[in-house]
Amino acid sequence: MSVRESSLLARSAKAGRPSRARKTRPVSDRLAPFVLIAPAVLILVFFRLWPLLLGVNFSFTGDGERNGTAVGFDNYAELFGDPVFETALRNVGLLVLLLPVAVAIPGLLATFIFLRVPGHRLYRSVYFFPAVLSPVIVGSIFNLMLAFGGPLNQVLEAAGLGAVDWLGDSRIAIFAVVAVHVWATFGMALVVFLAGFSTLDPALLDAARTDGASLPQTIWHVIIPGLSRTIQFVFVTTMIGMLTSMFGLLYVMTSGGPGGSTYLPEYYIWIQQGQMNRPALAAAASTVLFLLMLVVGLAQIAILRRSGKED
Amino acid sequence: MRQRAIWSVAIAATLALAGCGSATGTNESNGASGKLVVWDWKSGDKTAAGYVEKAKADFAKKHPGVTVEFVAQPFDQYYTLLGTAIQAGKGPDVMMFNGGGQIRDRVDALVPLDQYLAADKQRLAGWDAFTKAGKIYAGPVTLQGHPIYFNKAHYKKAGLDPSKPATTWSGFLTDCAAIAKMNGTTCFSLGNKEGVGIQFWLSGLGSGILTPAEYDDWIAGKRNWTSPNVKKVFQLWKEANDAGLNNKGGNSTTLFTDAFGIFDAGKASHMIGLMSDIGHWKEFNEFLGAENVGVMPAPVVTTGATPSLPFDGGIGYGVAKWTKDPAIAADLVRALTSSAALQSFYADAGAIVSDTTISTSNAGPAVATLISQLKTGKPALHVALSSKTQELMGRLSQQILEGTVSVDDALKQLADSDKA
Repeated sequence: MSVRESSLLARSAKAGRPSRARKTRPVSDRLAPFVLIAPAVLILVFFRLWPLLLGVNFSFTGDGERNGTAVGFDNYAELFGDPVFETALRNVGLLVLLLPVAVAIPGLLATFIFLRVPGHRLYRSVYFFPAVLSPVIVGSIFNLMLAFGGPLNQVLEAAGLGAVDWLGDSRIAIFAVVAVHVWATFGMALVVFLAGFSTLDPALLDAARTDGASLPQTIWHVIIPGLSRTIQFVFVTTMIGMLTSMFGLLYVMTSGGPGGSTYLPEYYIWIQQGQMNRPALAAAASTVLFLLMLVVGLAQIAILRRSGKED
Repeated sequence: MRQRAIWSVAIAATLALAGCGSATGTNESNGASGKLVVWDWKSGDKTAAGYVEKAKADFAKKHPGVTVEFVAQPFDQYYTLLGTAIQAGKGPDVMMFNGGGQIRDRVDALVPLDQYLAADKQRLAGWDAFTKAGKIYAGPVTLQGHPIYFNKAHYKKAGLDPSKPATTWSGFLTDCAAIAKMNGTTCFSLGNKEGVGIQFWLSGLGSGILTPAEYDDWIAGKRNWTSPNVKKVFQLWKEANDAGLNNKGGNSTTLFTDAFGIFDAGKASHMIGLMSDIGHWKEFNEFLGAENVGVMPAPVVTTGATPSLPFDGGIGYGVAKWTKDPAIAADLVRALTSSAALQSFYADAGAIVSDTTISTSNAGPAVATLISQLKTGKPALHVALSSKTQELMGRLSQQILEGTVSVDDALKQLADSDKA
């Protein structure tokens, strides 16, 4: 029963006379809304909720010889005792920490384009190019670029800085992958920022210029406050992108290595299910990832709602 | 709101307590009448076309009414797809497996084939890799091994006799130093990005490090991870890298196929390679010339060790539990391992096949050496490990090279994983 319907009922009850229209409404009319929403609800229930519940359910069963038997929280205990899964979660934390950088880069570049640096038209299209490439292609390109004997290291060696094993050093590899991810995806955020700039009041910028504000002052006191909602939106979409679409890059660039240092939960799930034949453990990891995303998602909704209220 | 909270708690509690059903599905029978479906990752290759054709013809002679459909899956997705099929309890009737951990982890979904394949036991080799607890679960198609290949041209240039490669580790190191000096190459080509390099290292050099008794115990499942010789394997892994015997950046070089590419290009003098599929004598023959590809036994590190060629059944076909008539499906496995089909596979793909009776002449000296060593060969050390331990060993091997995990710590973790 909808809020409106119940308030109508309440109102009619207060008035002391039963609603005539309600009594005479035929059954088919009353059922119609349910029939109309049924396809959407059924699709949601059968293809979204039911598999989700099955997955959670399977996470409480065993693998291999214990297939099909209830094992309680054994899978979760194993999961949180596994150093690789721990690394995967820690890497998620690292991604959250690196988020401001991933947002600042397109923000800053968009600012330069907005302020019409020489060649801004060219940059606008060039920056967007990588966004249309698939992660596998991007990963393969950077595999060649970042290989130990690759062009980047040759330049470094020529400059006398010495080669770096970008993808083979566990302290560096995750940063290399994140950097490539940012490179490959910042075009989309840039476009959002440019759209945000178009809503910025030019009078404010002119006023700032007249008052003799420097570029950093203009950015800090005029542009950032004016774009707060855009920035929040980019934060949310970049976070989602980082947590859900790095699998392709990881698969191609590091295979989770070296020493498991570049694992993310998605990759862990795939390895357990596909390579280790541990579907129940993978289901448990999926459940943890789901809960993690739920928390992130709820936080995002809260942020978006708050920024909506600012209007 | 409160009601919603109660509901979610109730659902969570039910799920936690119930843990019903299973993530791998129950085995239901799947109709196979008149049609058998085969999954593999080979039949799509051009080089396997003749093999599949011959096998189909052989099978059609026995069962003319049964059609056979080959579905070639991409290899990097193969076990994921197969895992999904096993979970559903439905899928192909006959499927390809790698020997060792990959098939042993999945025997729950397979039919033991001992009674059906008894007649082939003598003709074919490599059964061990497809056996678990004394039962055979697949017919071997190829043999996979990990011989040490070397570039004879590098030896000649350094003034060494390529027909007499070093037999001891110290001799080997001396040769490597001389070759590196003359050719500017590294001793080994190492690719450990996938964590597979350590598997090749363990198996390729293991027979020169472990004593024969230790070796046999290892294969039989009595693995002593605290023995000094086992430790030696991992110490040498570290020492060789620190001493610059490997190409730089081994942890970021893929074994498949960057490391093979380094050997193909003549930038490294030795390579622990494969016998079949890729990274094998046929590939090296094409790049370096058949006359320049040599095969050497593992250099002896421990006195008393007797080097032998490490090899196992490479790939084979097994029969799914849910197939309607296992006898017919097993006949298809027999057709896929028939002499005519395997002869064709050897000739077209350059795989060392499981059939020891087929002729392998005219393929260069490397393959002749390999075939001659099959008689004294033993199962490879890493194949005896579970895929979980192999995965852990891969990760640890990268950390050992980096110096973030000590050899002792790695061995302790491996011992724990192997026991579990």
